Amino acid sequence: MNFRTQQAANKRKTIGLLVGMAVLVWLVVYAALTYFGTSTAGIVPIAVGIALISVWGSYYGADKLVITMTGAKLIQESDNPKLFGLIQEVIIASGLPMPKVAIVVDSAPNAFATGRNPEHALIAFTTGILDAMDRDQLQGVIAHELAHVANRDTLVSAVAATTAGAIAILSDMMTRMMFFGGGRRGRDNNGNPILLVVSLLILILAPLAAILLKSAISRKRESLADATAVAFTRNPAGLRSALEVLERDSTVVQQKSTSVAHIWIESPLDGKAVSRLFSTHPPIAERIAVLKAMESLN
Amino acid sequence: METIVVLGVIALIVLFFIAQYNRLIRLNISVNEAWAQIEVQLKRRADLIPNLVESVKGYAKHEQSTFDAVVTARAKATSASSVADVAAADGMLTQALRGLLAVAEAYPDLKASANFLSLQDELATTENKVAFSRQFYNDNVRSLNTAVKTVPTNFFAGFAKVTEREFYEVEDPQDRNAPKVTF
Repeated sequence: MNFRTQQAANKRKTIGLLVGMAVLVWLVVYAALTYFGTSTAGIVPIAVGIALISVWGSYYGADKLVITMTGAKLIQESDNPKLFGLIQEVIIASGLPMPKVAIVVDSAPNAFATGRNPEHALIAFTTGILDAMDRDQLQGVIAHELAHVANRDTLVSAVAATTAGAIAILSDMMTRMMFFGGGRRGRDNNGNPILLVVSLLILILAPLAAILLKSAISRKRESLADATAVAFTRNPAGLRSALEVLERDSTVVQQKSTSVAHIWIESPLDGKAVSRLFSTHPPIAERIAVLKAMESLN
Repeated sequence: METIVVLGVIALIVLFFIAQYNRLIRLNISVNEAWAQIEVQLKRRADLIPNLVESVKGYAKHEQSTFDAVVTARAKATSASSVADVAAADGMLTQALRGLLAVAEAYPDLKASANFLSLQDELATTENKVAFSRQFYNDNVRSLNTAVKTVPTNFFAGFAKVTEREFYEVEDPQDRNAPKVTF
């Protein structure tokens, strides 16, 4: 597959997963209304509201928030003209505006991009990645990060986080009501027992399903960013060999906050501790294989 | 009731027309912007050349024919205006620069000089920027030309005064690769 079909496939799958999220929200609401009766309907906008407020703030201020959370320091062109030269190359290839650039003092090679839109984008690199990579590899990494900016992945992950959050809050409220028996008086649908059991199962399992969907979306956006990076540089070998460097390297960035794990180019969480389904990134070997397939087309 | 439906349909049709028209105009502007970017990068490269030639001259005085080739190519490149002319001059200049760098290979003192190394470095990134701006331009031309030729946008192309644009073609397949610069 070339990068165009890769891009199209990953976009299609993202849409499929987002539709899955919407269906899940609908299922949870339906289950809640079945189990507790329509008198609980008022809870739905409250849950969605709480999730929206909490996620929207971090989406709007993504660039500033992530700087504080990762300890990244903004730099100017005079601080590292070579890095800026490389970034400008990819900027020209992508037609994006110039992002803010930051450095994280950390010997583990890694990088990330954030910002609510291309005009407020920020890309950051650890000192480790700048030391470990040559020109072509670094260009591949920059292209991958700018691909996240071009594909608006901060927005996509904010939407995924909002829906997953709303589902978690809803399910949490419902299970609490169940234990305290408060909602039972609303059970006025003369109880089809099978329907009630199914509703209960949905309420309990929905948050888990939401997290799985959120992780799946994150993985698809990583694959999409790889394909878009190749669209920018037309050089799959650069990104491929950069990923090989990351694969060989066993160090991980110091801060392991799960809340920002998804934004790095290589997941900072220990691969063994997090199972495949919950992972925010596709396995690095799989990403290398896809890029190798693109190389063989050139 | 009927009038509302009729007005609604008319409004939808008008909105559709506006969307097609705007899409063509937007694509055309993108091509213009991409072209401006190529010119910026070619100018950057042209500005770099006198310094590069001077620094090589300091060590290799007897390579006059190579210097002349670069200077002539640079003059042609800065005076060209149509897409095809600029592309041809760009190709020639790339060729001439390759010759200049090959000459430099024979002078170890020159290759070791800090000034030459930094110029070589800057030339490498500029060559990349030229190549990427060329690629970005061609991608935009492809989108525009597709829109001008395909339904429904093709019906509006004449009205929006948007026509197919010329690709930036580098003739010599060898010219597609920037001069090999190692550092």
